[in-house]
Amino acid sequence: MKRLLVAAGAALLALSLPAFGQQEGVTADTVTIGAHGPITGPAAYIGLGGRDGMMLAVKEINAAGGINGRKIVVVFEDDGHSPTKALAAVKKLVEQDKVFAVFGVGGSNATVGAVDYMKEKGVPYYVSIASAPPVTWPHAKNLFRGGTTETARYGELYAEFLATNYKAKRIAIMSGREEYPRNEGDATVDKLKNWFQITPVARVEFNINDKDFTPQLVEVQKANPEVIAFFGNPAEAAIAMRQAKELGLKQPFFVGSNMVDPSLVNVAKASAEGVVGFSLIPYLPGSKADDMVKWDAAWKKEYPNAPAGRPNNFDLLAYGDMYVLAEGMKRAGRNLTTAALISALEGIQNYRVSPVATPRTFSTKHHIGNLALVPMVVKNGQWEPVQWTSTRTSDILTRYN
Amino acid sequence: MTATLFLQLAIAGVSVGAIYALVALAIVLPFKASGVLNFGQGEIVTLGAYAALILTQLALPYPVVLVSILLLGAVGGIAIERVLIRPIVKAPEFTLVIATFAIGLLIKGAISIRFGDSPNTIDGPFGAEPIVAAGLRFNPTALWICACTALVTVLVIAFFRYTRLGKAMRAVSVSAEAATLMGIRVERVYRWSWAMSTAIGALAGLLVAPLIGVNPEIGQLILRGLLGAVIGGFTSVPGAIVGGVSVGLIETYSGVFVGTTFKNLVPFVLLMVLLVFRPQGLFGAAEIKRV
Repeated sequence: MKRLLVAAGAALLALSLPAFGQQEGVTADTVTIGAHGPITGPAAYIGLGGRDGMMLAVKEINAAGGINGRKIVVVFEDDGHSPTKALAAVKKLVEQDKVFAVFGVGGSNATVGAVDYMKEKGVPYYVSIASAPPVTWPHAKNLFRGGTTETARYGELYAEFLATNYKAKRIAIMSGREEYPRNEGDATVDKLKNWFQITPVARVEFNINDKDFTPQLVEVQKANPEVIAFFGNPAEAAIAMRQAKELGLKQPFFVGSNMVDPSLVNVAKASAEGVVGFSLIPYLPGSKADDMVKWDAAWKKEYPNAPAGRPNNFDLLAYGDMYVLAEGMKRAGRNLTTAALISALEGIQNYRVSPVATPRTFSTKHHIGNLALVPMVVKNGQWEPVQWTSTRTSDILTRYN
Repeated sequence: MTATLFLQLAIAGVSVGAIYALVALAIVLPFKASGVLNFGQGEIVTLGAYAALILTQLALPYPVVLVSILLLGAVGGIAIERVLIRPIVKAPEFTLVIATFAIGLLIKGAISIRFGDSPNTIDGPFGAEPIVAAGLRFNPTALWICACTALVTVLVIAFFRYTRLGKAMRAVSVSAEAATLMGIRVERVYRWSWAMSTAIGALAGLLVAPLIGVNPEIGQLILRGLLGAVIGGFTSVPGAIVGGVSVGLIETYSGVFVGTTFKNLVPFVLLMVLLVFRPQGLFGAAEIKRV
């Protein structure tokens, strides 16, 4: 009897612990995913949207039976939009929480702090929102970029749109000093020069949370541009657009893709009319398309007390991307390992959970999931698609040949 | 640079400076009366902006919103003083400063949890279309802020000069102990100085919301408010206003003439220079010690 009890105890212990050599973060009935994003500070609109969109997808996936019999468990860390905090967050997730994969809903500014560490550790790192180049270039086997695209692709599309749709030769660029807007500005300048031989007539920078853009706008005004490209956050853009009007600037504003979001219209109001930018998602929150109405209802049921401006684009991006990661884990099979997940993700072609997401495609050569963006304009307080199609071939994928 | 542009820059500088001035004034008031430096004042401004957002969404007329914000601000200040400050009022100054800092963090955290961090805005009372006069463009909300700042300044100066409570506050600021011996109820003075300062902070929130939007980061204005207060001499009401407006003007002009990279740095450099030659600030009185 005593022997039987010892044997039963040993068996229970063995069952309760991961088997020797078993994948970190994976148990018989759960798979633990780490996630990070800014849920405090000026960029919290990114992380709060990313977190809530991701969690809505997780809830739906778990309710539908999970991943090959395992439920997804999420451990979320606030990265405060800071590279050092993002590094601390992923270190904790990998070393302390021992997650199977990390899902990034942080902005570029924070994500760049985590990239080298994640490359070194080899833990799958699925970045949903950050467009900073180091995520996908140079190529790393365990890093994937989902709904957002690489900054260089923004540069290609922005430059082509500015040069062909506005037919502008005189372009002014205003960009924030943090990672994402500066990268957007640099990539646009690069493609304007290399593809269209256009040098911006003014390039001015500002700080996050600035309340007065008059000095920058005076410099822009002196350069007399045909169009002003603004890369920053909605709160800053709203002030700059109002002050531009006060200074008598009548040039149209073109904005970075993170601002193609209801929050810009919400905060800039009339100043946002006519503003153009590229969207990473087919429909913006608030769209009356059937699929969006359905998705919006599901989101609002989950988050009934959400503040104005939510759900936002980041809810949608992270929602779509969590489904892509889940699809990868499903395809990897019951024996879920890092290698199996990477291989499965690399086999994903034009996958999306529903028309609310853009299709993601990965290959063994590149891990940029989305190269398609839709130009939109603010009309009567709503973002509407602009009829324009890129005709130039992207340079991005040629790097991987 | 044309004279028109130079003046247009002055308008922009004064517009943003008037916001800093109001924050500076709200910092100076409790310091003047009780010696407490309120690091949570930035979040009181944020709270005022969010209260304005809620009241505006209820479609209340602007004058009702204005009065409600002042009352809510005053009641909030009284509550903070009674519940959080009074129990530790005899603690070292540093403890009090940290306590106000913690109050600010609590307010900011609560706002983030309740409202999220998505930016929002409210309409100004006079629309958003610029008023054009003599070739210059004026933002009607900025003009309204300047008018309110001027009115609040006059009222606060008159309050300190002509009312019993104002005189009591001045007495307490010199020596709380001596004031007590003279029959002044020091606790009452503290309570009303907090009420006034938080009412002004909340008013600043209502006023700036149409210009800079409503988001949990509004509280960062405290840095510029502190800068204005130090330039002005920290205990002077006109000094806070002059200091705040100076910071706005310096930022705007230095952005144009020195470059946008250094625009946020120049006011701090000039402050250091000022403090070397005039440690008591522009309007502060030099400390006199009996030897």
